[in-house]
Amino acid sequence: MATIGNDVFFAPIPELNARLKDKEFSAEDLARAFANRLEQLGPRYNALALPLQQQAIRQAKTVDKDFKLGRLRGPLQGVPYGVKDLLSYAGQPTTWGAKPYAGQVFDYNATVIDKLAGVGGVIVGKLSMVELAGGGGYRYASASLTGPGLNPWDRTRWSGGSSSGSAAAVAAGLVPFAIGSETSGSIVTPASFCGVTALRPTYGLVSRHGAMALSWTLDKLGPFGRSAEDCGLILQVIAGKDGQDPGSAGKSFYYTPQYSRPMKDLKIGYAPVDFSERAEAPLRPALQTALAVLKDAGAQLVEMKLPQFPYGAVLSMILGGEEAAIFEPLIASGKVNDLADQSQIAGLKAALEVPAKEYLKAMRIRRLIQEEISKMFGQVDALIAPGRTGTAPKADQNLDGPTPPPAQPLDPGFGAIVPAGNLAGLPALVLPCGFAENLPVSLQLVGVPFSENTLLAIGREFQSRTDWHKRRPPGL
Amino acid sequence: MQMNDRITRRQLAAVVLAAAAVGRIEGQTAAGPQPSAGEDFKAAQQRIRDNSTSLAAVPLPMATEPAFQFKA
Repeated sequence: MATIGNDVFFAPIPELNARLKDKEFSAEDLARAFANRLEQLGPRYNALALPLQQQAIRQAKTVDKDFKLGRLRGPLQGVPYGVKDLLSYAGQPTTWGAKPYAGQVFDYNATVIDKLAGVGGVIVGKLSMVELAGGGGYRYASASLTGPGLNPWDRTRWSGGSSSGSAAAVAAGLVPFAIGSETSGSIVTPASFCGVTALRPTYGLVSRHGAMALSWTLDKLGPFGRSAEDCGLILQVIAGKDGQDPGSAGKSFYYTPQYSRPMKDLKIGYAPVDFSERAEAPLRPALQTALAVLKDAGAQLVEMKLPQFPYGAVLSMILGGEEAAIFEPLIASGKVNDLADQSQIAGLKAALEVPAKEYLKAMRIRRLIQEEISKMFGQVDALIAPGRTGTAPKADQNLDGPTPPPAQPLDPGFGAIVPAGNLAGLPALVLPCGFAENLPVSLQLVGVPFSENTLLAIGREFQSRTDWHKRRPPGL
Repeated sequence: MQMNDRITRRQLAAVVLAAAAVGRIEGQTAAGPQPSAGEDFKAAQQRIRDNSTSLAAVPLPMATEPAFQFKA
């Protein structure tokens, strides 16, 4: 068995695949090394939901045979990965991070797992998450079957939710990449807190067949990886039409960095207030330096404002109406009371009272939002904002925040970019861009639907000029 | 001196219990007054009413249909 050096745990996908093809180590060696590391260190961050070492080794042996026979299946061949525990993996528990579903087992795989298996990806484990992806609204990071997600940069801090384990496992080098999900913020937030690159794809681009439904019209699956390039390579595999997902857009995605437009031809919209006032003071130097990097690369930064809508209220009403319909059996049975977070229990119960006319009104406003945001993209190719305006909170902190909430600047900037982007089904790319008080700081780039290649090109250029995405948490 | 890397069951149990104890400390929620379940439910109901009020302030032309996507 070849020795796997510590550098391998933080290597990007093309490097891992090249070293596999050079026979520096076998897919089985790599799978064993990552599976062991995930089992040993995953619990340290409450990131591991289910180890899959035996399955990984079996899958890796098949990959090794393929390599031997010259059957090459692309850059993900032989590369280990993990999935958020809301994706079904046949014959294994799929808990959705929630006690009432602790014993749940499906007899089929999620489409993304089948797609990754088809190109030789090796699943090594399922990763923790906030219970039911946090749809009811939760007060504490401990709202999870596996306990609060702990941040590899500082274990007293939260790793973010709801894709807590996916972000933490990539940050700690426990998997080269992971699949997470977002309804509103569940990829962007943990990626920002853990300092990893992640992509929320356009609604409908990646099949959700086999994934827990929280909101049929908002749910998306996407990758967490080491770089923008890794995210592009993963998306190329998991995207595509799927007749088993009624929301499937029927589109494929080809990662084509060779055809990206030069940075000098790109206009990026931003709200200066986000970087000077809305972001907490310790984050501002990193965020402003990141803007300067993009400017130096030739991008034209254009001041913009989000159209005025009650984005949070619209999103909450839609999510409430849909999650109530989805989880009505859980709520009606009383098993909802077995969830870990009292606020989440209350939110789900109350969601049963969302009136149909309010749900429909929210969906009508959503159409206006989509139209207005589409007009914005007539002027720019992408929008940029802080990934989060603060760093990861303490793992035991009340996430409701102080009452009354702290004063905000009059100019809302892109403060509602997460609900706005999710309501309009827009893709977003999270890029680590520095540190504040030893915790990661990130940017998010948001684009027009199906503009993933543009976002990835900007991300790639940014990461060619910075090394924040290569930093490792202390002791790892 | 030669290190012995074997571990007894008793030592293993101690390690596991210690790790679990650390996990509990890190996973504990903040002390202090917490709202009751009933108060949380009322607050969640109030949020729905507040959201309705926010939605009501948006002018909606009659021709604006919900953002569903129906496919033949």
